[in-house]
Amino acid sequence: MKFNKLEDGKYELDVTGYVCPHPQLYTLKCMEKLEDGMELDVLIDNPSSVESVTQACNGKGYAILEKANPKAGVTALKIQK
Amino acid sequence: MADAIASSRHKIYAIGVLGFVAILSVLYYFSAPVYIYIIAYMWFGFIFGILQQYGRFCFASAFRDLIMVKVPRMFVGIIIGLIMLSIVNSYIVSVYPDKYIIESIGFHGLLGGLIFGIGMVFAGGCATGSLYKTGEGNMISFAVLMSLAFSQAIFQATAFDWFSRHFIQGKTLNDVGLTKLLFGGIGNHAAKYSFWQHLVGDTLVNAVLVGLLLLIGVYIFVVRKPFLKRRARQIAVTAGATADGGTAKTGFKDELAGFWSMISASRRTSIAAILIGIVAGAQIFSLAWLQNHYNFTNFGQVLAGKPAVGAPLPNGSKVSPTVPSSWPGTHAAYPDVSHNNTVFDPGYWYITTQEAMFGGWVLRHIGFSMSNNSYFGMDNGLPNPWLSPALLLSIGLILGAAFKSLTAREFKWKFPHSKAQWAYAVGGGTLMGIGARIGLGCNIGAFYGPAAFGNPSAWVFFVGLFLGAAISARYINFFANRKMASDDMDFDIKL
Repeated sequence: MKFNKLEDGKYELDVTGYVCPHPQLYTLKCMEKLEDGMELDVLIDNPSSVESVTQACNGKGYAILEKANPKAGVTALKIQK
Repeated sequence: MADAIASSRHKIYAIGVLGFVAILSVLYYFSAPVYIYIIAYMWFGFIFGILQQYGRFCFASAFRDLIMVKVPRMFVGIIIGLIMLSIVNSYIVSVYPDKYIIESIGFHGLLGGLIFGIGMVFAGGCATGSLYKTGEGNMISFAVLMSLAFSQAIFQATAFDWFSRHFIQGKTLNDVGLTKLLFGGIGNHAAKYSFWQHLVGDTLVNAVLVGLLLLIGVYIFVVRKPFLKRRARQIAVTAGATADGGTAKTGFKDELAGFWSMISASRRTSIAAILIGIVAGAQIFSLAWLQNHYNFTNFGQVLAGKPAVGAPLPNGSKVSPTVPSSWPGTHAAYPDVSHNNTVFDPGYWYITTQEAMFGGWVLRHIGFSMSNNSYFGMDNGLPNPWLSPALLLSIGLILGAAFKSLTAREFKWKFPHSKAQWAYAVGGGTLMGIGARIGLGCNIGAFYGPAAFGNPSAWVFFVGLFLGAAISARYINFFANRKMASDDMDFDIKL
């Protein structure tokens, strides 16, 4: 799992290859590290984790700005705190 | 362009999976018409697989995500599905009283649930969740399934009879079901109840009332505080206060809105839960009907070619001595079928025992003695996997999930790529296997099914599951925090 800074206020997290609960756990822990307004691009290839992350973001008030399938089996989420 | 080609390739594979199941069904049927019984198991599994993959339906997620990331969607889904199954079930057992099953209540349920709960969180999925995830191409889940299969088989062949003598036999409360408690008949195995009596006892009390109390608990402890905080801010903003400073008072209406937001949070999980409950009920009904039609009470009798003459069929009539021409000509003998001419044939949605039988069958064929115990020897036998009814359900479930994930472009091969991933999968699967056998069932067989049948034993297993999941969740959370302890905003963590 790689967590990188792309530019000021923008980060990316790659959790492909991992299964529950690690993708949702690390995504939310990374979100906790960010400040309000910052964005995180997440790559997940575990469908149930995408559902959990979406629900957790709704619960915490994080905005999912974009959701895409860059390739089969992989979901890219852009989340703003 | 490449994306479009990949997409159409996935669709072709999906059609291939569907065609494979259809061709297999035809081959079974023309081999012997009675095999429509195991074909039915397979197709119900296929539908469960589609629904589970669509709803991301996994019991590990219900507990783990609730504890670790405060997401109640799957917990809500389980309760919704349970209520639906229980309504259908109340009708079925009023028509087929023989299908009214009451599990024993005892320490084994709590301990089994605890061990199973610890295992399922480490494994990344419950028993049935691991099946559907295998269908998504997730070979980590397949490793979990294999660990589940072989750990159960070894435990049953070596330690279970000892455990049962010391911790189960003579140490359980038997025949205690909610309908019996409310309307009398505890200890009377022939007692029959109307649909309305089952609906009150099994559904309203054991499923709806307990389920509602649990949902209220989840709302109060997980959802309420953040929801009301956001709600108060929204009300203040609407009233003209500044977005960052103002808050307003919330009332009972807001509490109800919060509760509803929790129930309706995941549309796909709720839809899947409702349909799974209905399909699980339809499965019980269909299989009971087929048993009546084909003159057997357990599929082992078909394999052995020996009707259980005089045994009560689900509709109350007796098994006739005539061997129907629809049965196959081949006659399986012990240990393919048990001493009692039975194989594992639960007649409803069940998950772990059939994997144990697969593990036992493999071990037997490489030379281990597997039948000198009550589990394989007296009850479940060790049939060929392709004639093991419930295993066909598991295979159908994997294929159904593969079909659905391929059509949704969510299928992806995924293999364990580190020692830690192997450890989580094998360790978690092994704990689930041992827990399932100690608890006499998994999240489906010891919880979901019995809870719908009005069995208080299900809630004992549930408490164990919750405690076990909490222990694993705490460990994984601690591990994650330690890995991320550095102030550095960049990290590269390998599990």
